[in-house]
Amino acid sequence: MTVTTAPAMVELQGVSKRYADVDALHPVDLTIAKGEFVTLLGPSGSGKSTLLNLIAGMVAPSSGRIVIDGRDATTLPTNQRGLGMVFQNYALMPHMTVFENIAFPLQVRKVPKAEIRRRVGAVLDLIQLGHVANRRPRELSGGQQQRISLARCIVYNPALILMDEPLGALDKKLREQMQLEIKRLHAELGITMLYVTHDQDEALTMSDRIVLMNGGRIEQQGTPDTLYFRPETVFSAEFIGSSNLLAGTLEAGPDGAPVLRTALGTFPVPAPDRPIERGAKAMLLVRPENMTLQRGGDTVHVTGRIEDSILLGGVVRHFVRCADGSTIIVQELNQPGRVDAERGHEVAAGWLPQHGRLLPAPPAG
Amino acid sequence: MNELFGSSRAARRITSTLAWLCYLFLLVPSLIVIPISFGNPGQIEFPPRQLTLDLYRQFFTDPAWWGSMVQSLLVAVATTLLTLLLAVPAAYALARSRLPGRRGLQGLFMMPMLVPVIVLGLGLYLQFSSWGLLDTTAGIILAHIMLTTPYIMVSVLSGLKHSDIALETVAAIMGASRVTIFFRVVLPQLKAAIAVGALFAFLMSLDEVVVAYFLTGTQTMTLPVKMFSSIRWELTPVLAAVSTLLTVLSLLIALGIIALQRKTEASS
Ligand SMILES: Nc1ncnc2c1ncn2[C@@H]1O[C@H](COP(=O)(O)OP(=O)(O)O)[C@@H](O)[C@H]1O
Ligand SMILES: [Mg+2]
Repeated sequence: MTVTTAPAMVELQGVSKRYADVDALHPVDLTIAKGEFVTLLGPSGSGKSTLLNLIAGMVAPSSGRIVIDGRDATTLPTNQRGLGMVFQNYALMPHMTVFENIAFPLQVRKVPKAEIRRRVGAVLDLIQLGHVANRRPRELSGGQQQRISLARCIVYNPALILMDEPLGALDKKLREQMQLEIKRLHAELGITMLYVTHDQDEALTMSDRIVLMNGGRIEQQGTPDTLYFRPETVFSAEFIGSSNLLAGTLEAGPDGAPVLRTALGTFPVPAPDRPIERGAKAMLLVRPENMTLQRGGDTVHVTGRIEDSILLGGVVRHFVRCADGSTIIVQELNQPGRVDAERGHEVAAGWLPQHGRLLPAPPAG
Repeated sequence: MNELFGSSRAARRITSTLAWLCYLFLLVPSLIVIPISFGNPGQIEFPPRQLTLDLYRQFFTDPAWWGSMVQSLLVAVATTLLTLLLAVPAAYALARSRLPGRRGLQGLFMMPMLVPVIVLGLGLYLQFSSWGLLDTTAGIILAHIMLTTPYIMVSVLSGLKHSDIALETVAAIMGASRVTIFFRVVLPQLKAAIAVGALFAFLMSLDEVVVAYFLTGTQTMTLPVKMFSSIRWELTPVLAAVSTLLTVLSLLIALGIIALQRKTEASS
């Protein structure tokens, strides 16, 4: 799907990992281009860390081939892969000062002393933490420590930086700041980054490309826009953004165009990306922001009663309880002088048929 | 909340009082020698009728006593250093390797802890006599290394359990070799655990009498052996002075161990 013209920094060919009785990762093919910012997104236990650790060489693959920067690295020891990694708990050396921590990878590379001083100084300036050079990590805040551990990676120009939920331990506001800072560093330095998170907003904000993982497999990959607007499965649709899903049976309408017969009515649907047989179970996805509350309503709509309306700043979310007991979410822009329908009032939640998206029904179980 | 806090504090006070009573009970016999050591050099008496330093003077001027003290210190220092060289890397390798025979190997290192010392002494005596190691300083050091290795291993292994393995991982990713990681990442984190183990080993070697009794002779006699034989043959009051010196040394080392353990607890 994604056309990568740049040369590959990492190539996984049928790489899998099996522990005694769990398939942590089923055979996976994945290519990361030079300079790309790729995010592994998925629920806990979906194999994100396993994939990262396979690339870092911390675990050996059960099958497949790993190529890093054009070189077969499948059995290469971790310390010869030339990578950088940022952990959730920072992993700074407690017995070293900030300066010594950042100097460590350079000392390992036998960089001359004067140059070490210059390069450490430069990255400390880059992250604006020059004033803490002589402190110990534990004297710093979580956000500062994570910036130091980022600086420790950047300082030796690794081919690829791996990050395993690096912002997981920070509060929301700091997390958003750091997201922008990491993006800035990525843009300025052009380093390839592979980022792991279970937070969809983080993935949408930061990535050139998102690789969505589910149960040790790649569920779908693509740009944030693709994953948001063109999910291919119910799992993708539900994991990224919020979604209204109507389950039904695909049929041919009076004019031969496809329609979905559901418990709430029969609706015209756009053609799916991959053909779905007539008569098969399918699901219609409509994003809440593509729905409106209509008082009359002659377009496509479902009817129900307002259960609740909540204000989220710039937008309002209405929860509409339908006849079959399901709840439809309608999201509208907030405006001065807005008048909400009263609780319990009958309303119609409508959408434009072309904003719907037809998905195959998820496998049973 | 308040009450809970209060009662737990009371409970803690009771336990610590009990603990101190136990210590005292254990210590009193050793403490009794202290006043005796400042007494009359002619005979052992408690309480002493006059206070003098004569017994200490005797100890430090008699080459037999003084020499065995130097021998003991030499053996203890050598034992400690050599055991560290052996046990610290061994513990690290055991803790971090994925060898299938790991557990068995660990058990092997711990064996000397389980075998009764007297049996060990006899075994070593028979073995060393055929190797010509009886009555040699190297022989007694070798035996003490065997005895102290498990203790340093235990101390280092528990230190490794508390050390953060992510630091070693991140160092490897940054390109560091196993050796660099050991010296620059692992050792600094183990400083306290190693110091505790070392003090413990030093104390054990200094105090050890059973194995030393089997293996040393007139040339290589350590202080505890000299004390033991002097109890049997002459029962001189100099013993009180020696005991006092040993007690003070042991106490200092024990305090050092406690202080180190406090420090590591506070920092982790
Ligand atoms: N060392 C291990 N031994 C056994 N199972 C493991 C090990 N590491 C991970 N797993 C299993 O592999 C699966 C994927 O784990 P992981 O890659 O850590 O997921 P994620 O990072 O997405 O939360 C989980 O089911 C986990 O329990
Ligand atoms: Mg993980």
